[in-house]
Amino acid sequence: MRHRIVFVATAALMLAGLATADEKAGVAANKVPRTADGHPDLSGTWAYAIDLPPVVLKEQVNGSVSIKTIDQSWREPAKAPIPGALPSTPAPSYKPEFQEKVKHLFDNESKLDPVFYCGKPGVPRIGSPRRIIQLPGEIVFFYEDISGDPYRIIPTDARAHRADANPSYYGDSVGHWEGDKLVVDITNFLKDGWFGEGGYFHTDAMHVIERLWRDGENLVWQATVDDPKVLTAPWTMSPRVVKPSSDPLEESPPCIEDDGHRLLNSDHHQQR
Amino acid sequence: MRYKISFILIFCTVLFAAGSLSAHHSPSAVFDMEKKFTVAGTLTQVDWINPHIVVFMDAKKDDGSAETWKFESNPPSWFRRVGIARNDLSKAIGQNVTVEGARAKNGSLYGYLLKITFVDGNSLELLFNPGK
Repeated sequence: MRHRIVFVATAALMLAGLATADEKAGVAANKVPRTADGHPDLSGTWAYAIDLPPVVLKEQVNGSVSIKTIDQSWREPAKAPIPGALPSTPAPSYKPEFQEKVKHLFDNESKLDPVFYCGKPGVPRIGSPRRIIQLPGEIVFFYEDISGDPYRIIPTDARAHRADANPSYYGDSVGHWEGDKLVVDITNFLKDGWFGEGGYFHTDAMHVIERLWRDGENLVWQATVDDPKVLTAPWTMSPRVVKPSSDPLEESPPCIEDDGHRLLNSDHHQQR
Repeated sequence: MRYKISFILIFCTVLFAAGSLSAHHSPSAVFDMEKKFTVAGTLTQVDWINPHIVVFMDAKKDDGSAETWKFESNPPSWFRRVGIARNDLSKAIGQNVTVEGARAKNGSLYGYLLKITFVDGNSLELLFNPGK
């Protein structure tokens, strides 16, 4: 009898807990703002997507000292599963005949990576957009990047890829909605970019799919890269949960690299 | 061995999970980060550029002749996000400043700016390992 009472009490508590969790999930889902056409509204200004040096500023003004840090903890891989995210792997799988090339590029990255020399990172390496403007039939991504500040105008009106577009680092994008996810299909890339810092070269056959959705107040961004000429299978990167930001976009200063000719070794940034 | 593989996997996960890193060389590829030195002189120029800001200063050698030092420092995006704008440095152009830095390994008049102290005693200092 005593056991039964404990069991019933425990079950009641668990049910209460579940109900609370469901309510919370319902509240969170309801909090996702939507546009007039019913899609989640991805519009907004989002956190700066590039890693910054893990350095603290100590500022002394009129005798008083202040310490300023930058919180980029959200850029670390999420500790808990992200709702809606696809399974991801840490690195792409190259065909055996290209693995030596990838290693060579990675070992000599500071000398060979175009992005080290103000080159455009392209998609998907540029990461999540800094600002999104969502309109009926198209969505516009804006970025702040060391190489400049690109934008992408992505039609979402079911049109096909452009047949006459020149290849580019950011490719040709078309988007559509799959439930509450925006799915962006990107093709027509230049072949001299890297899609990741591990020496991840690609060819003109690269095909990228970005997925963006809302997780409460946050934006989630996840990309899948395929290049059947060099990869054994499509590679899905880990998702990125991006916080909303009150930090307005600002034109990036010009990029003038002046250390490449001074490099004495191949050390990379300390965070890598 | 199994632990080593796990460590490498975790390391790679942390390494490549991020979509966009501030791709550049490590300061240690150019500068001797353990070899700190100090130069005092006149701030002459502040270039707010990627991937690193650059400042120039004229200093006097022991024999009285002038030499021009060039210092790079953190990216402008880092300075912006700790609340420092170009004007916070450029307002001191023409004034005496003291710079503590790490010198280029090639021995040139080039360094990585770690601290700048202005004529009024105010200063900005970059702490690379604040917890250590």
